[in-house]
Amino acid sequence: MIRTLIRSQWLLLFTIGLYLYAFFVAPVRAANALNIGTSTFFSVTLLIISVFGLVGLLQIWISRELIVRLLGREGGIKGLLIAALCGTVLIGPAYIIFPLLMSIQKQGARWAVITIVLTSYAVKLQMIPVEVGFLGWPFSLARALITIALAIPTGLLVEALMDRRNL
Amino acid sequence: MTNVGFVYLILIGSAYLALLFIDRQKTGQSLKIAGQSLLKLLPLLVAIFGLVGLFQEFLPAELVTQWLGESSGVIGLLIGASAGAVAIGPPLAAYPLAGSLLDAGAWPPAIAAFILSWISVGIITLPFEAQTFGSRFALLRNGISFLAAMVSGLLLGVLL
Repeated sequence: MIRTLIRSQWLLLFTIGLYLYAFFVAPVRAANALNIGTSTFFSVTLLIISVFGLVGLLQIWISRELIVRLLGREGGIKGLLIAALCGTVLIGPAYIIFPLLMSIQKQGARWAVITIVLTSYAVKLQMIPVEVGFLGWPFSLARALITIALAIPTGLLVEALMDRRNL
Repeated sequence: MTNVGFVYLILIGSAYLALLFIDRQKTGQSLKIAGQSLLKLLPLLVAIFGLVGLFQEFLPAELVTQWLGESSGVIGLLIGASAGAVAIGPPLAAYPLAGSLLDAGAWPPAIAAFILSWISVGIITLPFEAQTFGSRFALLRNGISFLAAMVSGLLLGVLL
């Protein structure tokens, strides 16, 4: 039980350890750090709660089956654009996303589509308010646009390399 | 930021209310999933904000500028992208860390590369990706995404 706790919550335990050490060596500065951390946390609590509300909505109303259907059916540039769009709203850990994408691939989707979904996955529409809160509008907007713009060339490149047998 | 959160909460809250009329059961399910994913992530969030506090108090700004500052150039980009590739966790955790590094004087392109490779490159999930798609695809995709993260970072520097 302790081992699973360590494996799943190692970062939290590590942080607690750092704090204990900090309180031991420099109590005033450690208290200061704790203050900064807590007030940052509380400044985004409402935002985080709302973002998870949105996560729940997307998960249920935009089902994974719908995404599979869209990606499997559409070809050409339209398919690639749909892939980029799907990637930005798709949520969930790797162990859900990978098998999902593999099933699309088996249904005949291109490698480019799989790569584009995984690349545009780096833009999380539902998380944008949090990103803006920490990094500001210009940074977040530029990052989202560039990611989506580069997702399609990246996908085509991976596909081209996948098709070349002896590399 | 609290005000933005309030507006957002009202928006999402009204979406829930409206959907409640369309399909009661599905809306309830959404709320359940929302609560469950938030609870599951809570320990990680606590850890991340704890780290943000430690960063801001103890991490010397000179160190950040030296390793990730504008003068570090390509090295800074590489450090950012590599740190992101090794890190694992939801994007939500990357933003506060990235924000405190920016405040400490890091170069925006290096930080953009950090966030991008945090999400789209996974050293830790690589074995799993290779098992699902084959190692050829996994290596190609992660390698190219790593490069793309740095290129995007540079483009962001041009745009800002």
